[in-house]
Amino acid sequence: MTGMEAISAHNGWAISAIGVTIVFTGLTVLSLTISQLHKVLAFMERKKSDSQKRAEGAKEIDVSDIIIPGDMKETAREYKMIIDRMDAPFSLPRLLELSEKCGLNRPYSNLNDLIGSGLIEPDGEGYYRWKGPDNP
Amino acid sequence: MAIDTQTLKSLELFSELDSEELERTAKLIHPMRVMEGEVLALRREPAQMFYMIMKGNFMVSFKEGKAFTLHQRGDIMGWSTIVTPFRYTGTIVALTDGEVLAINGDEFKVLIQGDASIGEKIMNRINPIIAERVPYFSREAREARKELLEA
Repeated sequence: MTGMEAISAHNGWAISAIGVTIVFTGLTVLSLTISQLHKVLAFMERKKSDSQKRAEGAKEIDVSDIIIPGDMKETAREYKMIIDRMDAPFSLPRLLELSEKCGLNRPYSNLNDLIGSGLIEPDGEGYYRWKGPDNP
Repeated sequence: MAIDTQTLKSLELFSELDSEELERTAKLIHPMRVMEGEVLALRREPAQMFYMIMKGNFMVSFKEGKAFTLHQRGDIMGWSTIVTPFRYTGTIVALTDGEVLAINGDEFKVLIQGDASIGEKIMNRINPIIAERVPYFSREAREARKELLEA
């Protein structure tokens, strides 16, 4: 017995199908693992940077979930969103740092405008307070 | 490009200087344009330049996140150039585009120390500003500055 007949008699087609399925499943799992690898690396990086910041005594404020829409023009509203995540009174250089981290446009001059308009005021001790409306 | 003495006279820091003193001082001063976000000085770094605001807005930040902003023409920054230990106590950053008058710290020291009259007139203006800004420093720096001011 040879050829197709022999393959059929010894379950060759089923074995081939199982083989192909195993290989494809393996490749799929491998590709999914590789595609998610950046998340694992980002997590590890974040953990490393968190421990560094803790060591430096800086308080970490999570702004990763603040989404600043491109069409949102109200600078005050954008900054209020960040200030709400900070302790009151807040640090002006820290606000600047966080606004840069959020990708706000022209953070330096916008911050200056907010101070100039009185929406942000110094507390006299080197820190600042939001003086504008709660929902600008 | 040199600065004219009339402009210098209009600044509070140099308002008491006579015409000859203004001439001498003007030779050391260089107008400088600054851009938004530009860092003029870094905390703890050797203080090399003294600045006076002509135009623009600036933030001076200190340890522990403290800061103040300067917006007025004639406001000074970088007085650590003439006070020991000659290291900046704060970081200076431009909040907007602007213009400052810059003086090399070594040349400014020579001017102040080499001419008692100029030195006294300028330090009379700078000392109250230093005293006003002292609360922004860390405790150690505050105590060190206090001793210096009292000496």
